[in-house]
Amino acid sequence: MEVRRARSEGRDFEQRVLIRARYLAQREKLDQLIQQWLQGSRLALTALCLVAVLAGAGAALGALGDGSRPVNLLLALVALLGLNSLSFLFWLLSFAVGTPSGGTWLGESWLWLTRKLARGPDAALLPRALMELLNRGKALRWLLGGVSHALWSIALGSLLLTMLGILSARRYSFNWETTLLSPDAFVAITTTLGWLPAQLGFAMPSAAIIRASDGLQQLPESAQALWSSWLIACVVVYGLLPRLACLIFSLGVTKARLGAISLDPGLPGYAELRDRLSPVSENAGIDAPQAPAFQAHIRQGQYAYPPSDQPLLVGIELPPDRPWPPPGLPVTVADLGVVESRSQRRKLLDDLQARPAQRMLMACDAQQTPDRGVVALLADLAGMAADSHVALLGLAAPDTVHGTRAAIWQDKLLAAGFSTEQIHTDLAPALDWLAGVPAGDDAARNAHAGS
Amino acid sequence: MPDHDPPLRLAVVGHTNTGKTSLLRTLTRNPRFGHVDDSPGTTRHVEGARLLVDGLPAVELYDTPGMEDGIALLDYLDQLAAPGMRVDGPERIRRFLDSPESRRRFEQEARVLHKLLECDAGLYVVDVRDPVLGKHKDELAILASCGHPLLPVLNFTHSPDQRLASWREALGRLGLHAIVEFDTIAPALDGEAQLYDKLALLLDKHAAALVALKNDVALQRERRHADALRLIAELLVDAAAFRASSLPEHDALETAALALRRAIRNREAACVAALLKRYNFRSQDFPAHTLPLEGERWGMDLFHPQALKDVGIHVGKGMAAGAMAGATLDAFTAGLSLGAATLLGAAAGGLWQGADKLGKRILGRLKGYQELSVDDAVLRLLALRQLGLARALEERGHAAQKPIELDVQAESPASPERENWRSGKLPDELLEARSRPEWSTLAEDYRAGPRRSEVVLSLARKLGTFRTGDITR
Repeated sequence: MEVRRARSEGRDFEQRVLIRARYLAQREKLDQLIQQWLQGSRLALTALCLVAVLAGAGAALGALGDGSRPVNLLLALVALLGLNSLSFLFWLLSFAVGTPSGGTWLGESWLWLTRKLARGPDAALLPRALMELLNRGKALRWLLGGVSHALWSIALGSLLLTMLGILSARRYSFNWETTLLSPDAFVAITTTLGWLPAQLGFAMPSAAIIRASDGLQQLPESAQALWSSWLIACVVVYGLLPRLACLIFSLGVTKARLGAISLDPGLPGYAELRDRLSPVSENAGIDAPQAPAFQAHIRQGQYAYPPSDQPLLVGIELPPDRPWPPPGLPVTVADLGVVESRSQRRKLLDDLQARPAQRMLMACDAQQTPDRGVVALLADLAGMAADSHVALLGLAAPDTVHGTRAAIWQDKLLAAGFSTEQIHTDLAPALDWLAGVPAGDDAARNAHAGS
Repeated sequence: MPDHDPPLRLAVVGHTNTGKTSLLRTLTRNPRFGHVDDSPGTTRHVEGARLLVDGLPAVELYDTPGMEDGIALLDYLDQLAAPGMRVDGPERIRRFLDSPESRRRFEQEARVLHKLLECDAGLYVVDVRDPVLGKHKDELAILASCGHPLLPVLNFTHSPDQRLASWREALGRLGLHAIVEFDTIAPALDGEAQLYDKLALLLDKHAAALVALKNDVALQRERRHADALRLIAELLVDAAAFRASSLPEHDALETAALALRRAIRNREAACVAALLKRYNFRSQDFPAHTLPLEGERWGMDLFHPQALKDVGIHVGKGMAAGAMAGATLDAFTAGLSLGAATLLGAAAGGLWQGADKLGKRILGRLKGYQELSVDDAVLRLLALRQLGLARALEERGHAAQKPIELDVQAESPASPERENWRSGKLPDELLEARSRPEWSTLAEDYRAGPRRSEVVLSLARKLGTFRTGDITR
């Protein structure tokens, strides 16, 4: 059903497979499942986005505190960017290790959540098929990576906005603290981290201000503004921008890979379909219903002349490699030769017309197929003799093929009006009959054979 | 399609019971076309089939009833021709078709001639086991008078009692020198190409369509071959990767081995069914595979040691017999050593699912479970048997009635590739699959990555070198 529709609508094999799949999906209500799943995935993504927004804002509030205590710069930076950088690093590492879904647990959790949301019978089929398809198209890693980067970008964006908000609305003082490190180390760390943002135009605190921010000295307001700019710049440059860049890249790759996904017609399931969807041939119907086959019958003729007493033997369409006349032919029997061509046939019929026979034996090759023509000839000949028998030759080595052909000869001859006594499956008893020897009289036959 | 040429129309004619319907079955690759029997007059109407190239009919073939009464028909045609009037062949045939006997004694012959007059050419099918007789010459004379080219197609040329030489001589005397040998039961691999080449010589107006058809036939054959190899590669990967876990007690192990064997047998049967389908044969063409889950044979059961010996696979001491036949206890080492990279990746990416799965296996190991996998020798047997089947299907005509018999016996001529499958090292792809239980579609936690399809494709390529020098086109 679906196959027929697909064949009428699609041009090539790939198209037809897809059309058939669509119709089958409609029949099995898979399209509804897909809708459900899409809805679930959207819902899950929205939920994750919300969580990301909240997490971002929470991280910002947690890192900066309520302004009652000075903000420890390095600890704040780790709190803001630590987890993000770690997961980013893992994502990069996953390329080296080569895990199938690319080590993005945010992406994985999206799938997991979708699976939980879109429940129902056969609900597991869809994500599995999707995974397999994406995996085959090498798009899964990039799709999940894209989702993960998007969520991180949202979280960082929300974090940034929250930071901007509370930094604008509250007074914070920034400092650094250390027990182990020297102030120089701190200056080095801060300027190294600040170098890239400075290139992008962010205002960075100078070495003197950094040195002065040890929490022991009173700093000017401008220095606090510089520190907040440093913090924001670090979040933007080391958090948000790489995530956005990777997001765009991942989406680009996903799009390209998804676009490149095509049907692999060699896959086992599809390969089996080829002969049904793109057959190499089709039936074109019949011309007219078959009519009953013509059947020849023996018509015993009224002889114009009295039949002669001499028994006749004739070979019908015997192959040239069969010895003729058969050895041991009684002298009383007249051999009319082998008849196969049109002129021979005509001559035989004319002769018999002129001189009908009392007894005639017709020898046929049982290895050939009895066709209507030969059966009609036998019937015609039988009509010209008072008594006529048929001998089937070549059954000496009975194997399966010749066995069935002997049966066909029998059927055809019986249908033409011969009786079973008139049909011999061996030549010797047939010749006995022809020579007038009673059946089973071996001595008499031997005498004939010897003479 | 206004710019599309009308398809070439060919009437398949010949004496009765020479294999006209068989020829159509083989050319259309459709074992369900018409009705075939070793008896005269099996087909009593004209039935058509179209050969498609890119979904468009390129050639229309018409299966006709057999000519059975050629001598009498020629007599009748002579009667119809009024003395002193010269009429050409086709005109004589037309007069015959208007005559009353064309609806009585010569009803079948009339259908044949009617169709042949409509067609561009005729394929005259000959059973070369028959002697050349006057009736054949007469019916050829009648067919020739339709005024269309006739191409004799010699059928049953592989038969021991064929009379090929006398047929060639007789046809040559009748002026039919372009002759093609085409055994419908076991056609030569390039048989169809030869047939279309010869036809293109006779019908130069349609040569382009015939060349396109010939190329399409070759393309389809290559496609089928590639698909078959892929099906076999999938089977081998599924079997190699499959694992059944069990408690290390004797009874539990036996049950697990039984389950493993059943799963692999069913998988093999599925592969056989898919191959038959791909080559468009019916399942009764290969009845051997409808066999038993327990024991006996598929020809010979997959897990029976004798089956391995029959195809010449050396059975080592490691191959257990009896209840555990064909299954190997896995010491988990391969699984773990290759799993290490996965473990690392899983841990690094926080990919709990991968770790979870591996964890389950390690946990199972700690609990004392053991895993069973399919023995190497069984994989070899699977490969050899399926390759043998694919080859048999490739060489089989769609008219063949006898069930398929596989030729993968040990004593059959050994190619180095086949020898390699018997005793050489198993391909790396299978060794890799061994360490990836999740790659087996038989497994409950089947999970395939892109790597699996790469492995399957590369294994299919290796399987392709199994057969060398078969196709010489």
